[in-house]
Amino acid sequence: MRGPLLAAAGGAMGGAGGPLAHTIRAKLTAALQPTHLEVRDDSPRHGGPPGAETHFGVLVVSERFAGLPLLQRHRLVHEALRTELAGPLHALQVIARTPQQWQSDPHAPPAPPCLGGSKREQRRG
Amino acid sequence: GAAAAAAALAAAAALRGRAGRPLSQAAGESGGSEGGGGSGSREAVERLVREHPVVVFMKGSPAQPLCGFSNAVVQILRLHGVEDYRAHDVLQDPDLRQGIKDYSNWPTIPQVYLNGEFVGGCDILLQMHQNGDLVEELKKLGIRSALLDAEKDQEKK
Repeated sequence: MRGPLLAAAGGAMGGAGGPLAHTIRAKLTAALQPTHLEVRDDSPRHGGPPGAETHFGVLVVSERFAGLPLLQRHRLVHEALRTELAGPLHALQVIARTPQQWQSDPHAPPAPPCLGGSKREQRRG
Repeated sequence: GAAAAAAALAAAAALRGRAGRPLSQAAGESGGSEGGGGSGSREAVERLVREHPVVVFMKGSPAQPLCGFSNAVVQILRLHGVEDYRAHDVLQDPDLRQGIKDYSNWPTIPQVYLNGEFVGGCDILLQMHQNGDLVEELKKLGIRSALLDAEKDQEKK
């Protein structure tokens, strides 16, 4: 994934990134036991002030996704981050693959460019 | 005589007593009765998602998306030649913005509905586009993806 990688494979804690990045990493690790996890803070690209943690992208590779359609995989990720999504986490891009899928295609598409939507909003939603 | 009348009065009074509603119920009723439930109610959202085979809840409009993820949905649909669909700008309607998230139990915008059924957001639509599923789903709706015609043209050459 483009952008600063905030987690190495194996879910190492204590890497770069703010508190929300750490929380996201910890919760996804606990909920989905990923074999590979990348957490990308896109907030600077969406016009937030320095240190704002509002837009994230996650790449989760987990055996838990086997047999599940995309919608269910994404719901599992949302469930793990339910509190954050009801709070400061404004947008979340999700790529959810099984270990087999990741092995055969270890690439993720880049995030769509921001079009300034959040700058036009008065409040989060 | 008088006893019967007294009994009737007492019964009537008792009925009035039972007709008195607890505050919480009264508040709920008054809230739900305005405008048919509000633009974010389940009923209102249900009507919107069934309006058309392809319904999108987004930020901005197809002509002017205001969010990169919403724009991605518009562009993908455009690639498939799908230009005739219903798009709802949630930035114009805070009740709808919350209501659509409650309806689908999905925390973010954009949201794509095919044949009244929630399909996912931008990430899922992109993957469906890449793996061919979107062409198939559109076919089920009686919509022929423009990409099929594009392939045919290439074959002719």
